[in-house]
Amino acid sequence: MDYFALLDIERRPAIAEESLKNAYFRKTESLRLDQAGADALSSLNMAFRIISNPATRIQHLLKLEFGIAREARIGSDLGELFGSVVEALEKADQEFGSLSAESSALIRALAFRTMDGVRERLVQIEDELWQRERSLLSELGQIDGIWPESPAQCRESLARIAVDLTFVQKWLSEVRERKIRLEELA
Amino acid sequence: MSDIVGIDLGTTNSLIGVMDSGFPILIADRDGSRLTPSVVYLPETGDPVVGAPADRMRALFPERTIYSVKRLIGRRPGESEKEEFPFVVKSESGRTLLEIGQRLFRPEEISSLVLKKLKADAEAILENPVDRAVITVPAYFNDLQRQATKRAGELAGFAVERMINEPTAAALAYGLNRLADRSRIAVYDLGGGTFDISILELNEGVFRVLSTNGNTRLGGDDIDRELVRLLKERITGRHPELRQELDNKLFVARIREIAHLAKLRLSTEDMVQVEIPFLSGNRSFSYNLTRQELEAVARPIIRRTRSHCLRSLDDAKLDPVKLDEVILVGGVTRMPIVRQFVAEVFQRLPNNTQNPDEAVAVGATIQAGILSGQVQNVVLLDVTPLSLGIETFGGLMNVLIPRNSTIPCKAGEMFTNAVTNQTAMQIVVLQGERELAKDNWELGRFDLQFEQVAKGIARVGVQFEIDADGILHVLARDTRTGWEKVVELSSAVDVSDEAVEKMIAESLDHAFDDMAERLWTEAVLKSNELLPAVRSAMTLVGDQIEPDDQRKINALVHEVEAALKSHDPPRLKKSNAELDEGTQHLATLLIDRAMAEAAKRKR
Repeated sequence: MDYFALLDIERRPAIAEESLKNAYFRKTESLRLDQAGADALSSLNMAFRIISNPATRIQHLLKLEFGIAREARIGSDLGELFGSVVEALEKADQEFGSLSAESSALIRALAFRTMDGVRERLVQIEDELWQRERSLLSELGQIDGIWPESPAQCRESLARIAVDLTFVQKWLSEVRERKIRLEELA
Repeated sequence: MSDIVGIDLGTTNSLIGVMDSGFPILIADRDGSRLTPSVVYLPETGDPVVGAPADRMRALFPERTIYSVKRLIGRRPGESEKEEFPFVVKSESGRTLLEIGQRLFRPEEISSLVLKKLKADAEAILENPVDRAVITVPAYFNDLQRQATKRAGELAGFAVERMINEPTAAALAYGLNRLADRSRIAVYDLGGGTFDISILELNEGVFRVLSTNGNTRLGGDDIDRELVRLLKERITGRHPELRQELDNKLFVARIREIAHLAKLRLSTEDMVQVEIPFLSGNRSFSYNLTRQELEAVARPIIRRTRSHCLRSLDDAKLDPVKLDEVILVGGVTRMPIVRQFVAEVFQRLPNNTQNPDEAVAVGATIQAGILSGQVQNVVLLDVTPLSLGIETFGGLMNVLIPRNSTIPCKAGEMFTNAVTNQTAMQIVVLQGERELAKDNWELGRFDLQFEQVAKGIARVGVQFEIDADGILHVLARDTRTGWEKVVELSSAVDVSDEAVEKMIAESLDHAFDDMAERLWTEAVLKSNELLPAVRSAMTLVGDQIEPDDQRKINALVHEVEAALKSHDPPRLKKSNAELDEGTQHLATLLIDRAMAEAAKRKR
C-alpha cells in the first residue's frame, strides 16, 4: 500500500502539516460523499497516521523507494542520552514504589524533597529530548531539500533519523508519563 | 424514512432531540421537562416507572429504585464498584446483574427502559414512530461498555445508527455556529458518573478529535457519596445513639437525596440549611452546610481529573496556551470549585456558553442530522480512547491500534503454527494502556484454527477493525486456503464460569477467616510507616508549631504505641487515623519548607 498515493501527495521526507491535513480532509469528504465503506476510511485514517508522524513517514518512504524495512541502528550520541533517560526513569519508578496516593499526607510531605529532585531531573531530560527532536526534524528538513535530486544519497541518513526519532518519541512519552504520576502524588 | 433522534443517555439524566428545519431541538415530556432522570422504579406489581416519578421513589423504595446504572453497564463482576448501591448487585455467569424482588435484570435492560420512555416522548411530539437513534457514550467507555449500550438501544426498539462520544457531541453543539472557524478546543465533561476530557481541532467544518482521556468511574455521584459520609458524621456527632440506624438503607437514601439537593444549591449559595425532619422518632436534625465544607470533600475528587487533562494535552502535543477555548459540560461543572480548577489546569477561564446539561444531547441530534443529510459540510473525525492489542508470550500487551487513532481503523497481524500439526492457537484481545496484559481489560479470547501442516507453514491473518461506533470486529483469514471467518469474541468469564465462581467463593471464605488478622497486619504496617515519619517531621519543623500542638501530637503518638501493644485492631486503626489527622498541618509546613528550599536552589 502506498499511503502517499492514497492521500494524493508527493513522496517526500518532509511534509508541511497544513497541506497534509488539507489533503486528508479533502479525501475524507470525498469518500463520505461516495458513501465509501468503512474499509476505505480505515485505510485513509491509517495513511494519515503513518504520514503525519515523521518517524513512521520516513520508514514508509524508505520501504516504498528502496524496499528496506528498519535496518539502521540508533545514533551513537543518542545511545549516551539513553543511559541518563533510563536512570531518571528508574529513579522515578523507585519513588513511586515506596509511595501511593493512599499514603498519609505526612509521608508524602516527607517524600516531597526527594520527589522534587526526581522531578527536576525529569524536566531536564525532557528538555534534552525536546532539543534532540527539534534538531532531528531540522536535519530532516535539510535532507528534504536534497531528496528530489538524489534520493539514494539520502537513504542512510533518513534511516538513522527515523530510528532516532522513534526512540526520542518513545522516551519523551515515558518521561511525560512519570511527570504526570509525580503530579498525582503531590 | 423516519427521523433519526439524538439521545444523551446520562448517568443522572437523559435527553432526546431531533432536527427541525435544520436546527437541533430537544424534546420535552408531558410534564414539560427536557431532562429525564435516568431512574427506574420497579414496583412489586405493575409496570416499571421511569424518570421523575421514579426519582421520587428513591427515598421510599431504595431497594426497588435503580439509579446510576450507567456505572454498571458493560462491567464484569470483577470490576465491582466501590460504591454500595441500595439495590442488590449480583454476579452470575460472569455478568453483572441487578436483583429486584425475585427478578434479575441486566444493566442494559434498565437503560432500555429509560430509552423507551424517551422514545415515547419523541413519538408523542412528532406524531410519528421513531425507530432510529444516535446514542452518546462517554469517550472513555471501552468496547464492552459500548456494546452493552448499543444493546440497550436495540432492546428499546431503536436501530442504533451511530454511537458518538459525549465530549465530541458537545464540541459539535459548540462548533455548529462557528463552521468557518479554525480553532483548538478542549471539552471538560464531568457528569454524574463519568469524566472525559477531549481535545479537538475545528477546521472549517472538520471536527477532528486529537486526543481523549478520562475515567468512567469518576463523577458527581462520588461527591454525593462523600457528602453523605460527612452528614452522617455530623449526625452521629450530635446523636451518637443513632449510629446503628444510620446503616439503614431508607435512612441513607433520605440523606443522599438531601445531600444531593444541598450540593446543587451550594453552586449559587454560600450556605444551606440541611433539614432532616423526624430523623428518628420525633428527633430532627438541622445543620448549616457551607460551600467550604462541600468543597473540602469535593476537592480530592475533582483533583483526580487533573492527570487525565495533562495526558490528553500531551497526546495532542499541545500546551494549554495553544488552546482557544475550554468548554465545560456536565452538571458538576456548575460548581464554582470545578471552574476554578479547570481555569488553573488550562490557564484560562473556561467557556460556559453551553448549557452543561444539554450540550451533549444537542450534539447527538446534530450527528443525527449529519447522518440523515440535514446537516451538511460537517465532517467528524473521532478517535478510539484506548489502545487495542493482543497478549503475547510472556503476558505482555502487544499494541496493534494505539489510543487516539482516528476511527474507523484497522490493523492486521499474521500468525503461524509454532509446532507441526498444531491445530489451534488462542488469541487474547486486550484494551488499555498498561504494559502487562493482566492490567488491561480483556475484551475476550478466541481460538485460531490452523491446517495440520509443518511448523511455520500455516498462515492465518487476523484483522482487527474498530468501526465508527468504536466497536471492535475481528476477522480471521487463512491466506493459504482463502478460508475466512468473522470471529466471535467470547468473554473471558463466560469461558470459565465455574472457575471464576469458585475463585470468588474461595476468596470470600478466606477473607472471613482471617479478616481480623488482616486488619491487624494492615494497621501495624500503617503505624510502622507513620511513627518514623512523625518523628522526622517533628525534628524538621516541630519548632514551628505551638507547644500545645506539640503536646497533642505526642499524646497521639503515645496512643498509637499503646495500641500497638494491645492487639486490638479497631483501636490501632482509630489511633492511626487520629495521628494522621492530627499531623496534617505538619505536612503542610514540610511542603512549604521544601518549596522554599527548591526556590532557593533554582535561584
